[in-house]
Amino acid sequence: MNERSLIFLALAGIVSAALLLRPGLPIGVTDSAHEVFELIESLDSGDVVMISFDHEASSLPEVGPLGAAIADHCFRKRINVVGLALFAEGTAAGYELLTERAGGAGARYGDDWIYLGFRPQYTAAILGMGESIPDVFAADYRGTEIGTLPLGRRVLDYNDIDLVVSVADGSMPTYWVEYAQARYGQKIVAALSAVMVTSFTPYLEAGQLAGILPGLRGAAAYEQLLNSPGAGSRGMDAISGAHVLLALLVVAGNIQLWRSRRRRRNP
Amino acid sequence: MFSFACRGQRPFALALLILLSSSVAVLGDNGSPVADAGLWGTGKIPEFIAVLLLSLVMVIGVIHVRRRGRPQLRPLPPIAAVDDAIGRATEQGTAVIYTTGWGGDMSRPTIMASMEILGSVASRAALNGCRLLVPSHDPVIVGVAQDTISQSATVAGRPDWFASSDVTFVTQSQFGYASAFAGLVARHHPGSVFLIGTFEGEALILAEAAHDAGAVTIAGTDSTIQLSFFLVACDYTLIGEELFAAAAMVSGDERAAAAVLAQDMIKYLILLLLLIGGILVGFGFNLNDHL
Amino acid sequence: MRDRLAVMAASACGVLLVVQYFVNADWLQASYRLLLSWMQAIFAFALVVGVLAVIRDRIARAGRTTEERVNAVVMVGAALVISLLGFVGGTGRESPFQWAFVHLQAPMQTTVFSLLAFYVATAAYRGFRARTIESGVLVVAALIVLLGRVPIGEWLTPVLPGGADWILNTPALAAKRAILIGIGLGMAATSLRVIAGIERTYLGGR
Repeated sequence: MNERSLIFLALAGIVSAALLLRPGLPIGVTDSAHEVFELIESLDSGDVVMISFDHEASSLPEVGPLGAAIADHCFRKRINVVGLALFAEGTAAGYELLTERAGGAGARYGDDWIYLGFRPQYTAAILGMGESIPDVFAADYRGTEIGTLPLGRRVLDYNDIDLVVSVADGSMPTYWVEYAQARYGQKIVAALSAVMVTSFTPYLEAGQLAGILPGLRGAAAYEQLLNSPGAGSRGMDAISGAHVLLALLVVAGNIQLWRSRRRRRNP
Repeated sequence: MFSFACRGQRPFALALLILLSSSVAVLGDNGSPVADAGLWGTGKIPEFIAVLLLSLVMVIGVIHVRRRGRPQLRPLPPIAAVDDAIGRATEQGTAVIYTTGWGGDMSRPTIMASMEILGSVASRAALNGCRLLVPSHDPVIVGVAQDTISQSATVAGRPDWFASSDVTFVTQSQFGYASAFAGLVARHHPGSVFLIGTFEGEALILAEAAHDAGAVTIAGTDSTIQLSFFLVACDYTLIGEELFAAAAMVSGDERAAAAVLAQDMIKYLILLLLLIGGILVGFGFNLNDHL
Repeated sequence: MRDRLAVMAASACGVLLVVQYFVNADWLQASYRLLLSWMQAIFAFALVVGVLAVIRDRIARAGRTTEERVNAVVMVGAALVISLLGFVGGTGRESPFQWAFVHLQAPMQTTVFSLLAFYVATAAYRGFRARTIESGVLVVAALIVLLGRVPIGEWLTPVLPGGADWILNTPALAAKRAILIGIGLGMAATSLRVIAGIERTYLGGR
């Protein structure tokens, strides 16, 4: 069995053990989660949040809890939600998530939330919505004409949207910032997979992003603030175990390097 | 500027004229920026100045290159390694795999720069008779890549070498594309792999698949996150704008080299602005509040 | 002639989009909205062309070897079945298409995504070696960030999360900004060259 196989087995083992044993390490609330929470908390009932599911099915385990936490908060506060997707695979996932969350909160489709569906060519879609949302989405995901829905009649462009949350596993928030924020002054929050977060910190520091919610850690922290632990909190122990293993691997690799150098010096 | 225009740069000159005349409209009769009058949007003066400045510096760069010749571009190890990488694949009797990543489409400048480098790799592969496989996630990139490779093969005197079926659209799905790439690497055992373009989460899968197959990997991306993975997992990496400089290098076009020179000039200007801004902030004056 | 028309179209569209960003004239905004619609239509048709091309390519390869034949049958078969499910059964929540997405595609995609974790582990073991002082600093920073970003680091000591935040928000951010500035300039210069008709790689090297 070679080193690679051992590393793979060790990682699989530690993550499985953490998920099964659930040591339940305390989860603190991060500043970033707090900022995004306060942002949505400051909105009133009847305000509109646009949640864009800009991710693929592959990253659902990581960004799904982020979208769920944001949706839960919005529905809890009776904030209207306009859902859409700029990635084809995010379409069904987003619709599924919002339907489930809305059902749990008693939110009514058409009045409290709508789902616009998917549009290709995200640049054109983001810019187009700044001019006219009905022009980009003449009908919703179910095929109903937007103008026949009460919420659909209210949201004509970004002036009618109080906040856009891009639930993404890639660079899509960059396009939201470059087009929606820069051109139309739309407030954007990025709910991202953890690996992408550092790419967007410059935008946060420059005020181009109103907030960042990073990965499963961010979802877990947000769930703490909502006082409703979910998938984010459940994954934290496994992530802690995986990170500890990675740290041990880095140390082990350096020990090996030191030993081989020593062998070369003293043959 | 007009003699410059007469040498075939009319579109550029026209663009500059439009922007300059528009700036006259914004400045108005008394020479002050008119924030909300007539045709102009508010708060876009800094961007307008930046666009004008970059355009002017590009023109200066082109004029400088015409008068003084092509500037010396510092050698880039990844580009120097291209010949060895293709030679390695040729000796092993295997293929070269080149991909532009999942994160961008043909409208992205990074992908255009990647196509330039692909052309250079293709001509060398054609000369060596080494097979070149190009999987892509975007049908438009496939079309452009096919044209680029075909053109390079013709210029290299090997038009028969090019097979359009070697440049394929695999899927738009990110990890479907990564799986397809990993499968291609596992089946063909390439001697070298080029990962040059815009990558996202699939970057490390591609790099590790290439490493496991024992291929020499040459990478370059505009994504700062995936750059970190490439630096760890690949043999050679073009960092950030080195990708654009590499494209200028391999194209041999003096105007591309002029663009690299212009970028350097703007960077010096940015450094100066950072220094001035930092000193002013120390005295309590934030330039950002007045833009 | 065809290339010249393409370059002129690219230049004209580029100039139009730059000017409409700064100028609020109605006709400019209307032209801009029209261009956006065209972009969407072109992309949609390019996707259809791409899918048909890959199906045609797989069918052509099916005749070569048994392995290629099996791959071709699976790939083309899956594409046809999923398309039929969508057209016939719709894409609603309870539809077969949705079932296939949730129970087949999503798990497959997630599985491949999860490979990243394993590859990160092997890359970390292979790549984070303190061969020089600079790489030694990198190793220490990596250890601090690895442990500081998860609950176990917070549980061990509050220094780790604070250190991780400082590393990510100060030196790493500075380096990232510098790289972003360089990349941004490169992109801007390339875009200007496309508008000026100098850059023609999108025409396929002509």
